[in-house]
Amino acid sequence: MSAAPPRVEMRGICKRFGEVVALDRVDLEAAKGEIHALLGENGAGKTTIMNILSGLYRSDAGEIRVDGRPAPIRSPKDAIGFRIGMVHQHVELIGNFTALENILLGHEGTGWVLRAESQRGAVEEVASRYGLSVPLNERVKALPVGIQQKIEILKALYRGADILILDEPTTMLTPQEVDALFATIRKIAEGGLTVIFITHKIKEVLANSDRITVFRGGCRVGTVRRPEASRELLVQMMVGEREFPAGAGRPGAVASSSAGPPALSVRDLSLRNADIHLLKDVSFDVPAGAIVGLAGVSGNGQRELAEAIAGLLPVQAGEVTIRGRSVEKLTVAARIALGLVLIPQNRIDEGILPSLSLAENFVLGLHPYIFKRSGFFEQGTAHEMARIAIRDYNVLTRNERVPSAHLSGGNIQKVIVARAMALFRAIGGGILIANNPTRGLDIMAAAFVHARFREVREGGGGVLLISEDLDELCSICDRILVIHSGEILGGFDGPDYDVYRIGELMAGVRRRQP
Amino acid sequence: MGFVFDISLLQLTMVMMAPLIIACLGEIIIERSGILNVGIEGIVTVGSVAGFLGTFMMGSPVLGCLTAMMAGGILSLLLAYFAISMRANQIVVGLGIFVLGLGLSPLSYRLAVGVVQSPPQIKTLSGVPVPLLGNIPYVGEVLFRQNILVYLTYFLVAAVAFFLFKTPLGLRLRSCGENPRAADSLGINVTAMRYGACVVGGFFLGLAGAYLPLLITGTFTDNLVNGRGWLALMLVIFGRWMPLWAFLGALLFAYVDAFQFKVSSLPQMAKAVPPQFLLMLPYVFAMLVLVKVASGAEAPRALTRPYDRESRE
Repeated sequence: MSAAPPRVEMRGICKRFGEVVALDRVDLEAAKGEIHALLGENGAGKTTIMNILSGLYRSDAGEIRVDGRPAPIRSPKDAIGFRIGMVHQHVELIGNFTALENILLGHEGTGWVLRAESQRGAVEEVASRYGLSVPLNERVKALPVGIQQKIEILKALYRGADILILDEPTTMLTPQEVDALFATIRKIAEGGLTVIFITHKIKEVLANSDRITVFRGGCRVGTVRRPEASRELLVQMMVGEREFPAGAGRPGAVASSSAGPPALSVRDLSLRNADIHLLKDVSFDVPAGAIVGLAGVSGNGQRELAEAIAGLLPVQAGEVTIRGRSVEKLTVAARIALGLVLIPQNRIDEGILPSLSLAENFVLGLHPYIFKRSGFFEQGTAHEMARIAIRDYNVLTRNERVPSAHLSGGNIQKVIVARAMALFRAIGGGILIANNPTRGLDIMAAAFVHARFREVREGGGGVLLISEDLDELCSICDRILVIHSGEILGGFDGPDYDVYRIGELMAGVRRRQP
Repeated sequence: MGFVFDISLLQLTMVMMAPLIIACLGEIIIERSGILNVGIEGIVTVGSVAGFLGTFMMGSPVLGCLTAMMAGGILSLLLAYFAISMRANQIVVGLGIFVLGLGLSPLSYRLAVGVVQSPPQIKTLSGVPVPLLGNIPYVGEVLFRQNILVYLTYFLVAAVAFFLFKTPLGLRLRSCGENPRAADSLGINVTAMRYGACVVGGFFLGLAGAYLPLLITGTFTDNLVNGRGWLALMLVIFGRWMPLWAFLGALLFAYVDAFQFKVSSLPQMAKAVPPQFLLMLPYVFAMLVLVKVASGAEAPRALTRPYDRESRE
């Protein structure tokens, strides 16, 4: 049996995007019936190499073999021909089509007339074989992300894929959905298929894979078999020789919760758009000197809550107080002056002005505080401050004059966080609301941002951290609230969290089933 | 108020409706693939002059229609090249095509016909009643005592609706307009689908132009199209990118248009109401209805977005 060639073999794969080398002579192989994990930080090249295998990108050099024979893959169509199917991180379904239409698209069967119903049996047969029950007649956009992902997997399997690639399959799922997903994956692999999944979560890799290939900076660091892998080994392979920032670890006790009014207090906040409740009677406190997390599947009102508190969205009812002072009818600027800083959810659209320089972006919002004396825009001051931020936050950029759109997403986020922290200091603390501040950041940068949040806590400020990453929340928050359909369904005190109970609430299950 | 349901008024409505909905069908096909063609008015205008000249010079309405379709297809292909292959801004290219078409039409007319005292005429098509169906009182008289182009219109509405929603090719076309990356990853050639949609849609736009001289005027004048292309563009939104709803919308606007036409020909009305006011009616109506209807209409998700497989979003 040792003579059998690997199911997939990639040799010397190179890929550049402009000046950026995304992959540098990478080798990879995966066997039949294997669950192979690709582990690495963002930008390590995991997704790029899989996009090459699935035909979405073309490699600049290198060779792909399937079952030992050369497989020239130049388009997704070729990849399908080699029975390779990929499920992308952000589900690539067509929201306005039904699940069945999405699955059949491109494989509608013969004839000029669409006979979706006659294919239904075949789809259901594949679905039941792998335990992937999905509502085939529903429009996809009305379905939860977990179901959409099942549809994607079913779509690939229905096309006869026997090499299934999953890109960061767990990012948007609740813990229960994650368990169900990996049970499905195991079943698929036991059926003789090869499953390759991409992740940056070590926990998942250790629990669910047969072999692990670690990427760093566009290179393959190495491949280890599951029994030989450990958390420490994998971290070291992922991060390399860099020093891990201090301050990481379990959340501590609340620094100074009893003294003074809470940093932020929200009472019965309601927000409606026509008949839809975006927020419903939301009440909670963020004590001074505490980090409070807001967990929830994206699109459940997190964004609206942050914007309502910041004064960007008018509310129908409820009261918001910052450091004991009601902000009713105050403008955004007045709220900032009271001590409120917001790190917005979408860094490109809401966080920066892409064509302006880094320095100009950095002083945006800070300007009333730093140009106080002259009232004019002081180039020198702005550039000096930006240079300090670039140094302190380790922003990868040529200088502070480049347009901020030229930076990578992670570096843009660093600039936004640096600016928020500077503003926070300028207004003398208060409450920092951060909406998914570490999405797309690598481990080092995320740990750095978390360290800044801890500084806020130690300085007696409050942090409201909104995140879809439950692991992140558990690692840093003193308290976690769960939001679902615009309602706060529960609150949990740290440092030891029951992630399954939180997961149930994230999925909208209010009471534990007996 | 028997006038409101007058048979000749409704018959005229069907005639007015035909070019509108044909242009609208063309635009729906193009937009469903993810391309917004705001050059529609220009393409329809070129279609009208091509249709007129083709008929006038070759003496056959069929050849006239084919000429118009070719012209529409070619102009639309130009749009496709810039929008798809060059990934240009579709609004800018579309407006360019609009201006180009607007200039090209009178130019080619003058080149072909020259400056003349009395403009040349072609024969407008006469009615061919459908046996049996045409004898149904009222409904039959309105719908089936028409000329061949109106019948063709009925057929095309049904055919495009069937194509979009009941054929594999239609499903693929719609997928390119909704999520080209998903379509591509399933082996669908997004570029080819979009080019195809533009050319076929262009045939429809050209044909819609040819309808005007063949059905209504019998001559070509510079402002023959007179905003009907833009109206069709709005009807696409009104119809929510669905042929049957667009058909309904076209009927509504055509009715108001025909009403205006009939009323202004009544001598007692001509004194009471200024003709400009009546001419304005269909457009005011268009605005009012659209404000109400267009809110909440959902365009194809990838409309106006060029597709680049290797772009990293």
